Amino acid sequence: MKILIAEDENDLQQAIKEYLSKEANICETASDFEEAAYKLSLYEYDIIILDINLVTGSGLDILKLLKKEKRKVGVIIISANNSLEDKLKGLDLGADDYITKPFHLAELNSRIKAVLRRGKYGGDNNLIFNEIKIETEARMAYVNEKPIDLTRKEYDLLVFFITNQGRVLSKEIIAEHLWGDSSDMLDNFDFIYVHINNLRKKLKGEAAKYIKTAYGSGYKFMED
Amino acid sequence: MSKTKKKIQLLQVASKSYLLISALLMILSSVGLYFYTKYLLQDEIEEELYSTHYRIEHRLSENKIFYNLPPVSEVEEVGELRPESLKDTIIYDPSQDEMEEFRELTSYKEINAKNYRITVRMLVVESKDILLAIVFSYIIILLLIFLTQFYFSKARDKILWAPFFTNLKRMKGFSLQSGYPIELVDSNILEFSELRQEIKGLMDKVTSDYQNLKQFTEDVSHELQTPLAIMQAKIENIINDQELDFALFQALSSFQNDMQRLVQLNKKLVLLTKLENKQFINAQELNFNELVNDTLLNFKELTPIPIELEEKKTVLLKADTHLIQVLCNNLISNAIKYCIPEGSVSILITEKSFSISNSGKTAALHPEKLFNRFYKEDKSMQSNGLGLAIVKKITDYYNYDIHYTFEDEKHIFKIEF
Repeated sequence: MKILIAEDENDLQQAIKEYLSKEANICETASDFEEAAYKLSLYEYDIIILDINLVTGSGLDILKLLKKEKRKVGVIIISANNSLEDKLKGLDLGADDYITKPFHLAELNSRIKAVLRRGKYGGDNNLIFNEIKIETEARMAYVNEKPIDLTRKEYDLLVFFITNQGRVLSKEIIAEHLWGDSSDMLDNFDFIYVHINNLRKKLKGEAAKYIKTAYGSGYKFMED
Repeated sequence: MSKTKKKIQLLQVASKSYLLISALLMILSSVGLYFYTKYLLQDEIEEELYSTHYRIEHRLSENKIFYNLPPVSEVEEVGELRPESLKDTIIYDPSQDEMEEFRELTSYKEINAKNYRITVRMLVVESKDILLAIVFSYIIILLLIFLTQFYFSKARDKILWAPFFTNLKRMKGFSLQSGYPIELVDSNILEFSELRQEIKGLMDKVTSDYQNLKQFTEDVSHELQTPLAIMQAKIENIINDQELDFALFQALSSFQNDMQRLVQLNKKLVLLTKLENKQFINAQELNFNELVNDTLLNFKELTPIPIELEEKKTVLLKADTHLIQVLCNNLISNAIKYCIPEGSVSILITEKSFSISNSGKTAALHPEKLFNRFYKEDKSMQSNGLGLAIVKKITDYYNYDIHYTFEDEKHIFKIEF
């Protein structure tokens, strides 16, 4: 998959690149408006991670450019500005998702996968990991073609695990993904342990083993 | 509040002191006038008594016959001479059939080798009537003058102080948040004009300070977002890049937790600033009950504390969906956080109100501070103290009423739409 990261903050740009490169993605970067526009004019990308406040111009203008040229590319806006107006404007101009700084890379990764899955860009609506299959449109999960009954949170958790397979996910990141702003209301993360345990039970047998504990308090979804 | 002294209106104070002084003046001058007139009248009576006395004496010395005319004048031969006396006396007056007050002059004189006692009297009552009439009319005149003056000066004060009262009213209506400068009327009275200048100066200073502070909060929270994003991203990469030992992962994980707190704090500050800037204009019709139900679904998976919901009516609000979500979220999470372990949370939605209660042992120590920024009732709680401040701001934003009570071991927050 080819990804363009248009972000003028160099450290953040590199960190995103490092994280996304691990899944055999080709990541290119642009540090300002001109570079982003230039690279877009030359190459095709599957996904653009677009900072709305690029140092020499607005990410919204890039969106307008893409819209004008009817380019088939997924766009995720990242912005330091948590304003609904920006969000609506961005989505109106054809962006697929919007994420506010600061965010977790695992969250960004999960959103990228979701955008790709939506089919608009030739993706598959189904997520498959060995015997586990998830129909994202119907929000249904199957193990060996047998449907399993998951709660809303368990389903979200499984999708988050599969999209971030092979990566260490700390409880903080999982909590933030599942509960967003409400996740700060509890002093400990025991409730995550409960949800993960329930998910393991429902996956049964082999599939349950994919959820591994990492360093005692984190989790990692992977084959042996 | 009840301890502070009751405040009196300026014009009332002015007219009150005026009335007091005039009443005092009136009493003093009336008393003065009374005694002065009394003295004059008495003087006149005595002068007449002496003059009558002199005429009687003269008549006696000429050996003319004098007829007694009691009680006005009496002449009597006596054995010895005594000193002269002048006094008031009360004598029965048969003509009027009543006791009358007289001024009496008694003197002893030796005339033509005979000792006489000469007594002359004069009715005082008449002079007293005159005295009273004078004092009474004086009081009436004074009263009329004072009353006219009182109403006149009251009316004049009103006109004189008009710029002061107009400006006071405008200052009461002034709001820092509104962003509109204060307009004060000028006056040709020097002091009022100076006062206006001073207030204007102060207000301008306060307004610009407020704007700066707001801008500062906005800038700081905005500027914090990028470094926070970088830190978060780098930690995630470290966790994934290499084999870590257990302790290092624990440290990084706790680091993430603290960063999360910082991120939340920052988000809330941004929200507060936006509320103050009135940047939420996307009001739309929304079903409040649905929103509460959705929020509850989220929370029920987060806590073992039972949450009951009773819906009496469906409430439709015209407001920003995100803000109302935040409102519900903060109130529910607050109720769960401060609920005692074996307690419960209950929510009641009626046509015009939303109340949420949670079990607790004691009432809030400082209920008036609950909605203050960074106020924490319980310091041991991991909370940033912004949740209820945001709730209050949102209710203010939409002119809802919110109040806190503690009843039957329950903390209750009630919003009236």
